[in-house]
Amino acid sequence: MKKLVLLALSLFLVLSFTVSAGAKTLKVGLDADPVSLDPQVQLSGGMLQLSHWVFDPLVRWTQELTFEPRLATKWERKDELTMRFYLRKGVKFHSGNTFSAKDVKWSFDRMRTSVDFKGLLEPFDGCYIIDDYTVDIKTKKPYALLLNMSTYFFAMDSEFYTGTDANGQPKDAIVKIGESFALNNESGTGPFVVTKREQGLVIEMERFKDYWDKNCPGNVTKFTLVPIKENATRVAALLSGDVDFISPVPPQDFRRVNSDDKVKLVTISGGRIITFQMNQNRVEALKDVRVRQAIVHAVNNAGIVQKIMKGTATVAAQQGPRGYAGYKETLKPRYDLKKAKALMREAGYANGFEITMMAPNNRYVNDAKIAEATAQMLGKIGIKVNLKTMPKAQYWNEFDARAADMMMIGWHSDTEDSGNFSEFLMMCENKETGYGQYNSGYCNPKVDELTIAAQSETDLDKRTAMLQEIEQILYDDAAFIPFHWQNHSYGAKKNLKVKEIINAMNFPYFGDLVVE
Amino acid sequence: MAVSKFGKIENHMFAFIIRRIIQALLVMMIISLVGFAIKNKIGDPVRDLVGERVTPGERAEIADNMGLNDPFLIQYVRFVKHAVKGDLGRSFLYNKPALEVIIKHAPATIELLIGSALIIILVSLPLGVYSALKPRSLLSRFTMSFSTLGVSMPVFFTAILLIYLFAVNLQVLPSYGRGETVDLFGNGYWNTGFLTIDGLKHLILPCISLSSIMLPLFIRLIRSEMMEVLETEYIKYAWAKGLSPARVWLIHAFKNTLLPVVTVFGVQMGLTFAFTILTELVFQWQGMGFMFLEAVQRADTSLLVAYLVVVGSVFVLVNTIVDILYGFINPTVRIAGTK
Amino acid sequence: MKTKLQKFKESYFLYAFKRDRVAMASFIVLVIFLILAITAPWISPMNPYDAENIDIMNSEIPPMWMADGSSEFILGTDNMGRDMLSTMFYGLRTSIIIGLGAVALQAFIGVVLGLSAGYLGGKTDAILMRIADIQFSFPYLIMAIFIAAIFQVAFGVGSYERLAVPLLTIIIGLSNWPIFARTIRASVMGEKNKEYVEAARVIGFPKFTIMFRHVLPNSLTSVMVIFTIQVASAVQSEAALSFLGFGMPVTRPSLGSLIRAGQEFIFSGSWWITIFPGLWLVIFVLVINLLGDWLRDVLNPKLYKG
Repeated sequence: MKKLVLLALSLFLVLSFTVSAGAKTLKVGLDADPVSLDPQVQLSGGMLQLSHWVFDPLVRWTQELTFEPRLATKWERKDELTMRFYLRKGVKFHSGNTFSAKDVKWSFDRMRTSVDFKGLLEPFDGCYIIDDYTVDIKTKKPYALLLNMSTYFFAMDSEFYTGTDANGQPKDAIVKIGESFALNNESGTGPFVVTKREQGLVIEMERFKDYWDKNCPGNVTKFTLVPIKENATRVAALLSGDVDFISPVPPQDFRRVNSDDKVKLVTISGGRIITFQMNQNRVEALKDVRVRQAIVHAVNNAGIVQKIMKGTATVAAQQGPRGYAGYKETLKPRYDLKKAKALMREAGYANGFEITMMAPNNRYVNDAKIAEATAQMLGKIGIKVNLKTMPKAQYWNEFDARAADMMMIGWHSDTEDSGNFSEFLMMCENKETGYGQYNSGYCNPKVDELTIAAQSETDLDKRTAMLQEIEQILYDDAAFIPFHWQNHSYGAKKNLKVKEIINAMNFPYFGDLVVE
Repeated sequence: MAVSKFGKIENHMFAFIIRRIIQALLVMMIISLVGFAIKNKIGDPVRDLVGERVTPGERAEIADNMGLNDPFLIQYVRFVKHAVKGDLGRSFLYNKPALEVIIKHAPATIELLIGSALIIILVSLPLGVYSALKPRSLLSRFTMSFSTLGVSMPVFFTAILLIYLFAVNLQVLPSYGRGETVDLFGNGYWNTGFLTIDGLKHLILPCISLSSIMLPLFIRLIRSEMMEVLETEYIKYAWAKGLSPARVWLIHAFKNTLLPVVTVFGVQMGLTFAFTILTELVFQWQGMGFMFLEAVQRADTSLLVAYLVVVGSVFVLVNTIVDILYGFINPTVRIAGTK
Repeated sequence: MKTKLQKFKESYFLYAFKRDRVAMASFIVLVIFLILAITAPWISPMNPYDAENIDIMNSEIPPMWMADGSSEFILGTDNMGRDMLSTMFYGLRTSIIIGLGAVALQAFIGVVLGLSAGYLGGKTDAILMRIADIQFSFPYLIMAIFIAAIFQVAFGVGSYERLAVPLLTIIIGLSNWPIFARTIRASVMGEKNKEYVEAARVIGFPKFTIMFRHVLPNSLTSVMVIFTIQVASAVQSEAALSFLGFGMPVTRPSLGSLIRAGQEFIFSGSWWITIFPGLWLVIFVLVINLLGDWLRDVLNPKLYKG
């Protein structure tokens, strides 16, 4: 018995001394952890965040939405279809291999075989090696957003991922479910090397000693990521000092995080629009533009921003936020209950009608609460709403089936450009082309025509005019209920210089983080 | 004579165990069948595996490759075939064999149960015995009314109150998670929170809130059993022999109270297990209950089915053992179901 | 002949009740709760299930005695702008409907199966008790979550809102009946060989008449005690299911869903969204439990140890 006590005691001592001084450690609590170490297995925010920590793209977004050279030092347009990238020399992978043009081509080709990225790469013709440190990337048609897309081109270590693994499976296999080499092993060029990963529990990373970017101000040597799903718990962990950084911070806790003297709140406006779509194929009344206008006028989205989002979102009246090409200054939020009631009367629905509504409850910030508030707002103009909220795993199924008369959808443009919204949300649903994949029941050929034309229009003024016209049409048609653009929110200890590393895409560049 | 009687019991026991195993298998079949029948209703695991941009056609292809589009019976037979070999499928969410995921989450829950069991034992024994010996004292009355209050508090509300008080206002105890853990066997399967101060601190609030539902029940049980025993001839005889009160109460009376208490304890731990789901949710405790809710939310259907099968078998197993033990301890009880 | 009322007035039951202050107090509180629940639509300051009355701009107003409180909302408002007091009245109403309904269902299933098992014996007994055993061995809460998850997805969006109350009643009813069946069976086993049953059999009454008219009334005291305790447990189950998100829809919150909704706000300072409905629920369950304890002591001190 004594021995056991001694053993336990000495174990204690050893454990308490292992935390050495000097090293800058960073412990981050996010709402979910990345599903894999393979940057090409899933196109999701979480995976892209990880890619920026462990890998490097050709170019990346800055806070001002301009492009910053990473693995490409410069680029030039060769012709309408081709962009030439000059690659950085002297870059090492985590495995020790040297980075060169073959890795860019290899990663590009592998990406095209991934179901998640296939669609994004549709406009591309291919990647061509010019010499060891030069590549040409070609598109099939003139494509205005080639550079935007290059932020997705992370270089993987072609040598490292070639061959077969212990199970006899090719190392470059992209496997969604089941073991794969890339699931548990990585070799990128990024600032952090993964040392341990336990799905759902923790990812531990250490700074890459041979990181190419010697000008990088970041000084974090050990970086741990833990998923903390529950909002309140995540905030508690930050306040108690268990973690140094959390995201997202639930709006209801902004005040508390802000008022604490050890931590601070940092927010940045993001481009994700939250909307409800009204299905005209399911409900006759919704075909009447007056009814749709009445609904939009009944929704107090400014109130939702103020009360549910606690002021940290931007009230919206259109799809793309300010700064996007299609943004039209004159489109203003429309809440006006009197007018909404008048419109309902005018349309012959003074007594209202009954509809069904669905929304996810773990996809967007406060999604279920927004839906609940909307249901109540519509109640005021006589529309009785039967609301059901559910986890996203069930919700997307229901969305595919267009199972309710009104469905919530939030969207962040993959290309940081207005066109992407209409392509997915507002163009007539077309199973063949994939357009309107997330459009439940609105169709206007004029919108389709303009969106397609804008894709290959390289005259930027003309293109802007087209995109703005789309927003105007959607506004006049009351094609959807706009709510707001979500802000990204981060809570961190005061000694972390967070402001410098965040951006509208919600990719905090922890490699550049300075801990004082 | 004695030998043959013994042999008879053994035969009996053997038949009983066989019947129990058959029954257990039947239960497993039903549970897994039901689990399988509803798994498509809970959500589409493919949606959670792919990004939102992936087209329906490609999703269907993935589902095809995973065998999710096969007819129900084919899927079920495939599951049973694998299950016989100990393979309960692969969790979509954790991307590991479902059984491994469950086993890795079990220690957290088991430690939670051990912690609350300790609290229950340490608090209910002295309080129960005391209130049986001195039913009219102030402490006894207080204990009894407090225990009724305890039964009436929902576990999750107790948990929230504890967090509000100790973690938010007083800031003396952590509010979530397991804290610092030690890998007990060095193979990553059992991370224990019992060996670090931080881990123990994290155990306090969840264990208290979990035990709060069972504690009152045991105080009452021990009290009533003890009171009953004190009335028996046996104790009266002990008094008559002139034994000291301490000896009578602690050795003679208390010993006899214990047997029924232990039996109930075994049964109630099952119910406590169910309540860990609520406790683990509030405290974000990464145990089996937390995993179960996560699996429901994320439509990890194969993990869900595996969970039901594992929990079902554990319960049948525990019940069988309890019945057998009970049969041994108390031979007057006929083994259930025999005539 | 004495009338029933006279009989009741002279009974030990009433005598014991009058002597026990705790029981009387609990009974009074319970009656108040019941009245509040029944009259909720008339006495509540507003109807929290009606969108017309709810304004998001009124959300998270603290109770009236606090700094930003308003006399319009005595106990403050929740995160959607519902009046807390009204929502608690309506939530209580829902809890009571579901609780009573579920236990009635449990009792019905339990009594029918318990009676049949106990009286008929043999194979019927073995099979029925086996089923009860199996279900008993599985924690009822997991059972309820399981059934709730199935029901939630099986019904479409429009109907779920309407069907939530009956569905929850059925779920909780189905998940916890064996306790009735076992108790009834045990007491039937005790009664069935008594002389009056023999006599009835000799006279030639059919089995079911004997079971329901003669054996059942003698088991009723135990049923009554269990019924009371089970109501408390059913109300808690409903709260737990709603807390987990398998219960009442968000637009018609019950006490459990209110506590859950408020949990998110406990760190931000809006404690009243959780604490008031929580205490409300605890007091309600507590008086039922106290009455149940008292009933057990009076009617059948030996029954249901622990």
